[in-house]
Amino acid sequence: MVKNRFQKILSVIVEIKPGEEILALLFFFYFFLITAPYSIIKSIRDARYLEDVGSIWLPLAYFLTAILMGFVVAFHSKLLAKIQSGILVIFSLIFFILTCFLFWVLFLERWTWVPVVFYFWANIFVAVLVTQFWILVNDVFNPREVKRLIGFFGSGGILGGVFGGLLTGFLAKFKISEFLLLIALGMLIAGVFVVYAINSRQMKKAPLVSQIKIRGQGKQEETSGLGFKDCFDTVKKDYYLKLLAAVVLITWIVSTLIDWQSKNVIDQRMSGLKNLIAFFGYFNAGVLILPFFLQLLMTSGLIKRYGIRFNLMVYPIILLLGSLGVAIAPILLFAIVIKANDKSLSFSLNQSVRELLYIPISPDVKYKAKIFIDMFINRFAKGVGALFLMIFIPLRLGIQLRIQLVSLVSALFIFGWIFLNLKISREYTNTVKQKLEAKWNRADRLVAEKVDVDYTKLVFDTIESKERSSVLYAMHLFDLIKEDKLTPEVKKLISYKSDELRVSSLGALFEAEEATLVPEVDVSLDEEVLKKEIKEIMSLDVYQEVMEGYFEKAVADRSKEGEVTKMELAKAIGLMEPHSPLIQKLEDLIQDESPEVSRYAMESAAKLRRREYVPALIQKLHSPVAEEDAGAALEKFGPKIVGTLADYLGDKDEEMELRKEVASILARIGTQEAADFLTWELAEDRGDLDTELIDALDGIRSKTPEIQFQEPVIKAKTAKEVKRYCETFIRFYESQKKGEKDKAGRIFEKDLIVFRLNIFKLLGLIYPHEDIFRAYQNIRTGTKDSVAYAVELLDNVLKREIKDVIFPIVEDLSLEERLRRFQSLLEAFPDI
Amino acid sequence: MVINTREKNDVVIFDIEGEIRRSDITDVTLHQLVKEYLEVGKRNILLNFERVQFIDSFGVGEILASYISTHNLGGKFKIAKISKKLYLIFQVTMLTKVLDIVDNEELALEGFYKE
Repeated sequence: MVKNRFQKILSVIVEIKPGEEILALLFFFYFFLITAPYSIIKSIRDARYLEDVGSIWLPLAYFLTAILMGFVVAFHSKLLAKIQSGILVIFSLIFFILTCFLFWVLFLERWTWVPVVFYFWANIFVAVLVTQFWILVNDVFNPREVKRLIGFFGSGGILGGVFGGLLTGFLAKFKISEFLLLIALGMLIAGVFVVYAINSRQMKKAPLVSQIKIRGQGKQEETSGLGFKDCFDTVKKDYYLKLLAAVVLITWIVSTLIDWQSKNVIDQRMSGLKNLIAFFGYFNAGVLILPFFLQLLMTSGLIKRYGIRFNLMVYPIILLLGSLGVAIAPILLFAIVIKANDKSLSFSLNQSVRELLYIPISPDVKYKAKIFIDMFINRFAKGVGALFLMIFIPLRLGIQLRIQLVSLVSALFIFGWIFLNLKISREYTNTVKQKLEAKWNRADRLVAEKVDVDYTKLVFDTIESKERSSVLYAMHLFDLIKEDKLTPEVKKLISYKSDELRVSSLGALFEAEEATLVPEVDVSLDEEVLKKEIKEIMSLDVYQEVMEGYFEKAVADRSKEGEVTKMELAKAIGLMEPHSPLIQKLEDLIQDESPEVSRYAMESAAKLRRREYVPALIQKLHSPVAEEDAGAALEKFGPKIVGTLADYLGDKDEEMELRKEVASILARIGTQEAADFLTWELAEDRGDLDTELIDALDGIRSKTPEIQFQEPVIKAKTAKEVKRYCETFIRFYESQKKGEKDKAGRIFEKDLIVFRLNIFKLLGLIYPHEDIFRAYQNIRTGTKDSVAYAVELLDNVLKREIKDVIFPIVEDLSLEERLRRFQSLLEAFPDI
Repeated sequence: MVINTREKNDVVIFDIEGEIRRSDITDVTLHQLVKEYLEVGKRNILLNFERVQFIDSFGVGEILASYISTHNLGGKFKIAKISKKLYLIFQVTMLTKVLDIVDNEELALEGFYKE
């Protein structure tokens, strides 16, 4: 009851699912308890440094921090390789608690070197603890969960920063300011308990425990390779990670330049340690209040609504405008405003989006990359920024001119940053795709790729005809020769001597020698000459004249014995020229009551491709025995009969099965015209053939990606399928609620599967087919994480208006939540 | 191509030698020669291919034309000793169903007498 109420309250501000409340809240507080003390520590760090050392030496501090961070990263990565992340976090917190206490003692002694060492320590503090926080987040939650909860976690961090800042600002004025470090220390102790609680919950959650365990095992195996160099190599050999590193590098260079500008101005305008601590406290809190609300209320929404690319651009573009503003009018207000914007967006939107960029990276690689990028690159960037700033130290320029120059340098870096953001957003989608493996291949494509159906059929027919008729056998052999398929293996196969396969009727000539035909064929056969000879012989008027009488007699023969002769005739006609007089007999043979005769006749019709056979072939689609061969024959006619087939497809008076078969044949012909006819039929919206039409279009898309589909028709149909899905789901839910687990429920379930498949097939027509296909497969049969990655891929591939209607179907939701989303969808889009 | 003719009882035997091909047409073609015999009342025709090394579609045309001429006059037409390759061609083209093809001259003659 209490839990339900708690969940309801939380769900108002964040999209949280049942069971996630406690863990999400723990992470919220975990981040809070890192950033709140950091805000205190940072204010003391900056105030002490400016007061005791001076802003002129800030670039040197930036630079030395960068060098020191290299060692810290190396050491931290080694620890991470040996210790489970949850435990390492606790050890790290304890380390910082103890050292924090040590600094409190040292500050009492007023030694001048202490602020310098404290500066470095504070930077190590934030780098280590924030990195560990995100590593733990990535360990515990899957990508979709992170995407949903990132705003909530981030706001915990920002709230901590605001709280710590305000507390610092408030207490700095009083005598108890010396105890600020002890307050930070207390918060860190609380943080230890929160992390302990997270670890304990994780131990209970079996799948995640095993996940961590598996990774832990992996880590142990790779312990030797998880040093700084290994982390560096991991980033170096991956294009995506290199881009990510470059983005982070440039982000922090810009941030360093902006930091320098603001601190120089502050140093000029303020004096006194307490004043500085108070100013930094309030400043740090003030610049975080805006991002807190931005993070809590807008970040997730912005990311969900506008995607990664848009959100990657917001931060640099605002800083670009700010930098140009400072370059034009370098007043204190502008310097403060740009610093405030830098802080605000850096802690909210930019942090969240950057964390999302890590989603498609596998855990092991992410581990190493994160260590390198988040812990080293950003400090290194500060070092690079510091080097740029050091150029200005020896120049005897006024503070205003310095700030103007630095602003212009910032603007240049920001242009590069925008360019890199564009590149990485493109690469992000590609990386998500790589993450999703195709679960299965299309059966039709697999068969087409792996099996030459016509050839296989021919070999079987050849073997089968051996017993039946020497003429048929010879014709099949000739077919094999014609197709250059009479390989030694096939020869061996078809000349296999057994009681069943003994050649018995090749005439006395062959019988006398007890020979199989194949070795005879082997005797000096010039295949080209043979082909030419047979073609020419059958074209001879005299041949047509000689055979005419025989054909007429054979076609008219209704006896059982006549069946084989008719098969021979049907096959022989396929060898003739399309204008030979004898081919007129083929129509009768197609319609012959014997399925075998009809089959041979249909094969020949497919070879001759004369229009007059089409009606007879289409009629054969009615017959369950002949429909497959008739379909195969019609398919071989190709584009020239697409219009005729479309007439049958659109004819409501024709049998439904025949129309379905016609749709399938059009798909196999697969031309643009065939796709257009199928789409027009789909647009008719008769509903009776929808699944077959969608399947046919999907088949064309799969085989010929360059075919264009009429987007408005496909979109409209997708919307209708979504509506059908939603309505069926609601009926299914109601039937389940009533406890009806009967036939109706099963039918609903089956329909839902079909509708969902139809939706994906339709999407595949207007979006990258391979991506949609992979996403569908992973949603259909994948694990929870596969589904999450699949949805992530769709998130990056689909347009927003489509996402709004598709996501309720594909996202991992409870039945109730899905029902609610469907109901709102149907209300929001009554016309779909 | 060389064609020698001989008669055994009522059967005219055409012993063909060499290659029957379009590019090697002699003054008198096989069909013309068969017709000449048909015109003088011979009705039993036997083509002996024992010494034929090659035959092209033109040659097959000659055989078929000879068959038609003989058949139209109510005569009998047989072929003996054709190569395995030609037999395969005849099978593929279904000519084995129409033409009377036998292994050797003796069997052919036997056939003529029996019929």
